[in-house]
Amino acid sequence: MAQAGLVQYSGHQHLRLRLVLSLLSGKAVRIDKIRSEDKNPGLRDFEISLLRLLEKITNGTIIEISVTGTAVLLKPGIISGGPLTHDCPLSRSIGYFLEPLVALAPFAKKPFQLTLRGITTDEHDLSVDLFRTVTLPHLQLFGISDGLELRIKKRGAPPAGGGEVQFLCPIVKQVKTLNFVEPGKIKRIRGVAHAVRVNPQFSNRMIEASRSVLNRYIPDIYLYSDVYKGEESGKSPGYALSLLAESTTSALHCSEAISQPGVAPEDIALQATRALLAEIDQGGCVDRQHQTLVLLMMVLGSEDVGRCRMGEPTPRTIQFLRDVRSFFGTSFKIVAAEPMDKECSHLLYSCYGVGYVNSNRTLA
Amino acid sequence: MDDRPHKAHRPAHSGAKAEKKDKGKGKEKQHGFNEKAFAPKSGRRADRQGRRNVERDQTRLHVPLVNRTPDSEPPPVIIAIVGPPGVGKTTLLKSLVRRYTKQTLNEVKGPVTVVSGKKRRLTFIECNNDLNSMIDIGKIADLVLLMIDGSFGFEMETFEFLNVLQSHGFPKVIGILTHLDLIKKAATLKDTKKALKKRFWTEIYQGAKLFYLSGVLNGRYPDTEIMNLSRFVSVMKFRPLVFRNAHPYLLADRIEDLTPREEVRLSKGKCDRTVTVYGYVRGTNLRMGSKVHIPGVGDLDMKSVTILGDPCPLPDADSEKRRKLSEKKKLLIHAPMSDIGGVMYDKDAVWINVPGSFTRGNADVPQGEGEQMVMDLQDAGATLEDGVAQSHIRLFGSSSKHLTVQAPADDSGSDEDGDLDRDDDESGDEAEDESGIDSDDASEDDADEDTAPHPHSTGRSSRRDVTRTLPIASTSKIQRADVEYAESDSDLGDDDEDGDMGRRFRMEDGDALDIPSDDDEMDEGMEDGEEEENAPRWKVNLAAKAQAASSTSRRQKDWMKLIYSSELTPEEVLRGKEENLTEADGEDDDDEFFRFKKVPRNEVDAEVDCSKHAWKEEDLKQWEEDEMLESIRGLFITGTAAENGGEGYEDGDAGGDFEDLEAGGDDQAQISEPFKAESTRATALAKKKEELKRKFDEQYDDPESSKADFYTEKKDEISRQLQLNIEEFKDVSLEARALVEGYRPGTYVRIELVDVPCEMIEHFDPAYPIIVGGLLPAEERFGYVQVRIKRHRWYVKTLKTNDPLIFSLGWRRFQSVPIYSLDDHSIRMRMLKYTPEHMHCYATFYGPVSLPNTGFCAFNSLAADTPGFRVSATGVVLDIDRSAKIVKKIKLTGVPYKIFKNTAFVRDMFSTALEVAKFEGANIRTVSGIRGQVKKGLSKPDGAFRATFEDKVLKSDIIFLRAWYSIQPRKFYNPVTSLLLSDKSKWTGMRLTGQVRRDEGIKTPLNVNSTYKRIERPQRRFNPLIIPKKLQAALPYASKPRVMKPQRQQTYLQKRAVVMEPEERKAVALLQQIRALRKDQVARRKEKKSEKNAVHKKKVEKEEERKNDKVKERKKEVMRATGRKSKREAEAEEGRGAKRRKT
Repeated sequence: MAQAGLVQYSGHQHLRLRLVLSLLSGKAVRIDKIRSEDKNPGLRDFEISLLRLLEKITNGTIIEISVTGTAVLLKPGIISGGPLTHDCPLSRSIGYFLEPLVALAPFAKKPFQLTLRGITTDEHDLSVDLFRTVTLPHLQLFGISDGLELRIKKRGAPPAGGGEVQFLCPIVKQVKTLNFVEPGKIKRIRGVAHAVRVNPQFSNRMIEASRSVLNRYIPDIYLYSDVYKGEESGKSPGYALSLLAESTTSALHCSEAISQPGVAPEDIALQATRALLAEIDQGGCVDRQHQTLVLLMMVLGSEDVGRCRMGEPTPRTIQFLRDVRSFFGTSFKIVAAEPMDKECSHLLYSCYGVGYVNSNRTLA
Repeated sequence: MDDRPHKAHRPAHSGAKAEKKDKGKGKEKQHGFNEKAFAPKSGRRADRQGRRNVERDQTRLHVPLVNRTPDSEPPPVIIAIVGPPGVGKTTLLKSLVRRYTKQTLNEVKGPVTVVSGKKRRLTFIECNNDLNSMIDIGKIADLVLLMIDGSFGFEMETFEFLNVLQSHGFPKVIGILTHLDLIKKAATLKDTKKALKKRFWTEIYQGAKLFYLSGVLNGRYPDTEIMNLSRFVSVMKFRPLVFRNAHPYLLADRIEDLTPREEVRLSKGKCDRTVTVYGYVRGTNLRMGSKVHIPGVGDLDMKSVTILGDPCPLPDADSEKRRKLSEKKKLLIHAPMSDIGGVMYDKDAVWINVPGSFTRGNADVPQGEGEQMVMDLQDAGATLEDGVAQSHIRLFGSSSKHLTVQAPADDSGSDEDGDLDRDDDESGDEAEDESGIDSDDASEDDADEDTAPHPHSTGRSSRRDVTRTLPIASTSKIQRADVEYAESDSDLGDDDEDGDMGRRFRMEDGDALDIPSDDDEMDEGMEDGEEEENAPRWKVNLAAKAQAASSTSRRQKDWMKLIYSSELTPEEVLRGKEENLTEADGEDDDDEFFRFKKVPRNEVDAEVDCSKHAWKEEDLKQWEEDEMLESIRGLFITGTAAENGGEGYEDGDAGGDFEDLEAGGDDQAQISEPFKAESTRATALAKKKEELKRKFDEQYDDPESSKADFYTEKKDEISRQLQLNIEEFKDVSLEARALVEGYRPGTYVRIELVDVPCEMIEHFDPAYPIIVGGLLPAEERFGYVQVRIKRHRWYVKTLKTNDPLIFSLGWRRFQSVPIYSLDDHSIRMRMLKYTPEHMHCYATFYGPVSLPNTGFCAFNSLAADTPGFRVSATGVVLDIDRSAKIVKKIKLTGVPYKIFKNTAFVRDMFSTALEVAKFEGANIRTVSGIRGQVKKGLSKPDGAFRATFEDKVLKSDIIFLRAWYSIQPRKFYNPVTSLLLSDKSKWTGMRLTGQVRRDEGIKTPLNVNSTYKRIERPQRRFNPLIIPKKLQAALPYASKPRVMKPQRQQTYLQKRAVVMEPEERKAVALLQQIRALRKDQVARRKEKKSEKNAVHKKKVEKEEERKNDKVKERKKEVMRATGRKSKREAEAEEGRGAKRRKT
C-alpha cells in the first residue's frame, strides 16, 4: 500500500465490485493494468459510462483516468442520490449499471430516483425483470423495502436498445443483520415471458414449453406473458423468458434465457427452465447471481453475527470476499452447512458485521 | 449518607396520644378477610387507578439498546473522580483502593484497576483540573464521582464538566460532598447540604445520589463512609451509551516506547516513535484495519494488536481454590503507571520489579564501587563514540587538534551487530539475559531467574524497548505455545490433521501480526518450519489440500484457508478439487510455471464482468433426462421427505405438523432404507416432537407469554442475537476469532502504534489520561459537517461567523471555523453573522466526519485562565457533505440615467454586458418601493441595461437587485494537540485578529474613509413662492393665496383708556389684597415644610449610618473567614505537596 487508505488492484476484472466497496468504505482505490496487454487497451466505453454514473450519484468524488486509460484512481465522495438520468451505452445492458447501484442506493443522502436508458435484457447481465422480481426482494431481507421499486417503462432488446427503467430506492440508517439458514422448499414458481417487436404469440409458446417441464413439480406456477407494443417496445426485436422459484422461507432462485437467432422460442424456454432446475438443485438460501450482494449487505450489517447458507462461492464471490477484507477488514467464517452429510455442498457463511451506519443520511 | 442508628421508638405514656391509643385498645379487632379492603369503592376510581398503573408501567420502559459489552468477562468499570483541586480526589481514590485491596498507595498516577467482586472490576482514574482532561474523561467514564467542596459550594469547572458530559452522553454521576467538617454549626451544615443537594438535583436529575464525606482520618476518609460508597458503586447498573456502543476504545493504563534507541539517538529524539499502549478493550470489538484517535495527539495507525493475559483477572473457581488464607489480604491491583504490584506482563516477557542493589532511589542499600559503576552505566546518555567525539583527547600533548571520529565508523558499527542495534543499546549483560530467554524459555525457572529488572524500576529516563515479537497471542499461553514448538520439530513428519491446523494458524498469525523486517523472528520460524518455509505458502496448502481431497470427499476443502490465506486465483480455488482428483499428486515443485500459464487462458472467461451465470451446454443437457428431473422432486413442497434424505421435516407450519409426522411414519414403514438413514430420521422425528411439545406447553400453560408486547419482543430479539454472536465463534481459536470478529470488549490488549509524534513520549504525564478511541471508516474522512448549534446560555458573548471555535466532537478535539446559518423559508440556508440569542441555528464547518446525531460541545478557549463559563455552545451533528450550500445576501445597486414612462435605463449595477445577460429577468426594486425587472443589456455604456418598472421611477432613486452569494466555510482544521505539549494546559490554537493585534501590539489599521466625522449638512433655502398677480386674479376664491400682513397699528382695545368706578376700584383692591395674603400663606407653608424635611433627612441619615456600620461589620467577618480558609488551604498545600502544585 503506497499510502494509507488507498487500496490497489490490477486488472479490469471485478471493477464494479471494487468501485462499490470503495464508495461504501470511503477508501480510495487505484486500479491499474486495465487490459494493458490487450489490442485495445484501457477502459471500455461501458466502464467509462459506469464511472460517469458513479460521479453523477456522488458528491465530491474524484476520478482520475490515466492517459492510456489503463489506470483509474477513485477517491470516493459521499453518495448523494436524488433524481438522476443516465444513458447507458449499447455495449452492455442496464443490468450492468444497476447492479452496483443496488448496493449503493440504500446508503445515499436522498432516495434514489434514477432513470436508466439502454438495453433492458441481454445475455451477460441480469435482466431488469430479474432485478425487479429477485434482486430487490433480496434487499428486503435486510430491511430495505418501503418504496423500493423498479419500473420498466420501455423494453429495449439488443442491439439497438431503446429501453427505459426507473429505479426507486429508499435510504436506510443501518441494514438489518441476516440470519438465513433455512433454505426451505420450493413452493411457487413465477416467470415473465416478454416479446418485443416479434409475434406476441412467442411469449405464449415459451410459457407452454416451460410449463411442460415444470408442471410435474408443483401446481403453483404462474408465467406471465408481457408484451410491450409501439413506443414502449424499444428499437430491436427480441424475446426472453425469466423464471424464479420461491421457497417456503422465501429463498429465491432464478434463471433466464433470451432469444438467439435461429432458435425456436420453445428451445429458449426449455433452456431457461433447465437452468432454473439446475439452480434449484444447487440449493442454498441465495442463488449464485446474488451471492455478492447478500454477502456485502451482511458485512455492512450491525455489529452482530450474520449467517447465510449458500452453495459454493463463484470465482466472483471468492474475489469479492478477498476484496471485502482489504476494504473493511472483515473476513467470513465459511464452514460446511451440514458437516455430517457428505453429499451436501452447502456452506454456511457467517461474519461479524462492521456496523456500517449510513453517514450520508441527513438528520431532520 | 447518614449511617447513625435510628433512635428507638418510645411510645407516649401520657397525653393525647396515649389516650388515643388506649381508646383503640378497647376495640375488637376484625377477624377474617375484609372484602371491602381490596375492592374498589367506585368504578371511576378503579378505572383511573388502572390507567395510572399502566402509565406507570410505561415509564419503566426504555428504548431497547444492545449492550455490546459481554456479560461474562466485562472490562473494568471506569470510575472517574472529578472535582476542583484540593477537594480531596486523591484522598478518595486512596481510600477506595484501600477499601478494595487493603493496600495503601502513597502515590497515584494514571488509572488504577482493582477487583471489586466476583463479576466486577473497577478502574479508578483521577481527573485533573484541565478542561482537556475533563472532556476526555467525560467521554469514557462509566461512573463519575463528582466531588464538591461542601464548605465552598459548586465551582465553575463542575458545571462545565456537567455540560461536557451532557453533550457526549451522560454517564452515571454520584456527587460527593467533602470538607463538611469545616462547617461547624449544625444548622448551617444542614442548610448547606440542602442547598447543594437542590442545586445538584437540578443539574443532574431529581433524586440523584449525593454522598457526604465528613472528614479525613489518617489521610483517608472514614471507613464506614467509604464502605457505603463502595456498596453503591458495586451494585450500580450501567445503560449503554450510544456513542460508546458504536466505537471501540480503551483507556491506556500503560504506555511504552518501542522505537529503536539508535534511531532516537541519531535523530536527537525527534524521530516519530513506535509506541505500544495497553488497556482493556471497551465499547465494541476492536478491529484491525481501522485507525484510532488519541485525543490530544491525533489519528494514528495500528500496526498490530496483541491479546495479553489479563493483568487483573476476575476470580474464578479455580483461582479461589488456589488462594491461600494468607494471600487473602493481598488482593489484585493493576496500576502500571503508579508502579504498584511489581509484576508487569508484556507480549513475550514478564517483568518483575525486585528492588535490589542496582535500583535507583534505593539509598538504604549500601552501594559499593561496582554497584555504583553499574548504576552509572544505566544512564549513559550517549554512546562511547559520542563521548569520544565530544571529549577533547589529544594524542600528544603537542598536537594542536584533538581526535575526531569519522561518521562512517558509526555505520559499520551498527551493521556488524544487527541484534544489538535492534534490541537495545543497554548494558551487555542484560542483552545476554534476553537472548537467554529467547533460546530456552521453555524452562520456567530459567525465565524467572533471567528476567530483567522492571523497566520503570530502574529509574532510567528512557524506556526500555522490546522489539522482539513472537507470533503468539497472549503471555498466558507462552508455555503452551513453546511446547508446541518443541513438539512440532519431531512431529513434522506426521502431518496429522490437527497438527496441520495448528501450524496453519500460526502461519496466519504470522501474516497478520509479524513485523516483516524482523530477522530474528524469521529465523525462529525457520527453525521449526523449515520445510514449510522453503516452499511457497500456497504450495504447502495445496499439499495439505491434496491429501485431504484424496482421503475423503470434496467437503474437506477449507474455504477460509483457500480464500483468505492462499494466493490462488478464484478459478483455481474452485477448480482445485477437480485437479487434485484427476491429477492426484502429479504436481511437482516447478509447477509454478504451469500455473501462470493457466491464468491468461482463464481470462477469456473472466473477460466479461458479468453476474449472470453462464450455463454450459452439458450442464443443461442432463436435465432432459427424466431421472434427473425426478431427483430434485424432494426440493419442492409437493415432494415427500424420503426423497430428500433427512431434511424432510424442516418446513411447514404448526397446523400441518401432525399429519406430517404421520406421513413420515408411513414412509418409514413403506420404504426400506438403510438403518443409518432411519436412525437420523428417528432423531429428527424426536426433535420435531419435542419442538411441538414445547409449543403446546407454552400455549397451554401460559397463553400470555406467546403474545408478548413489542418491548419484550425486541428485548428477546436482542438477547437472541447476542447469544448467536457468542456461540457462532465459540469453537474457533483465539487468533482466528480475532481475525473474524476483532478483539472483544474485556480483553486486555497491547496496541502497537506507528508514527507517533515524539512529543507524546517526551512530555508524557500520567496525570493526563491517554484514550485510544477507535474510528469508524466514515470518521477517517473529512468533509463539511453541518450541525445544529445553540450558544450556551451561560456563555456571555455571542458567537460570530468565521471566528475559530474549538469543538469536542466524537473522540476528537479540534479547532475549526464555523459559518452560522438559518433556514430561510426552506429555500436557502442564509448566513448569519452572529448566533441568535436564545435559539438554535445551524453551523457548518470543515472537519472530520462524525455520524449524524452525534452530540458535541464547543469552546472558545480551553485555557484555565479564561474568565467565566468556557462551554460556549452545544449541539448535534445533522449532515455530512462535501460541499456547503450557504448563501449570503448581496445587493447590487445602480442608478437610472434615462427615464421613459415605465422604462428606465440603469447603469452602474453591472460592469459588462455579460453580467447583464446573466441577470436578465431578475427582479429589481427602487428604494421608494417601485418593483421592476431587468430587461436587456444596452450596448453603449458597458453594463447598462434597460429595465421596466410598475411605475415611473425618479432620477434620484437608487435601484437595487437583491441576489444571493454562496459561500464555503474555510477549510481549516486544527486538532488540539494538548498531550504533545510540555505544559499541557497551555495549548493555543488560531487566535482572532484582535487577539493577535493585542498580543503583538499592533494597532488596528485605520481606513480614513471609515472614520466617523461630523456630518455637515448645508442649510437648504427655499425661495418664496410668487404667484403672478394676473394668475392670482384668475384663481377661484378658494384657491386664492390668503396672505395677511401682521397688524402694525394698535387696536382699539389696546389704545383706549380705562376709568374705573369707585366700587369697582374697591373690589379690585380687595381682590389684590386677598391674592397677596394667599401668596404669603403659601410661602410660609413652604418654609415650614422644608424645615420639617431637613429634620427628617437628618433622621434618615443617622439610620443609614447605623446600617452601614452593620454591613461593614459583616464584611469584616466574611473576610476574616476567607482569610482563615486560604490560610488553611495554604497549610494543606504544604502538607500535600506536589499534587496540589501542579493542578
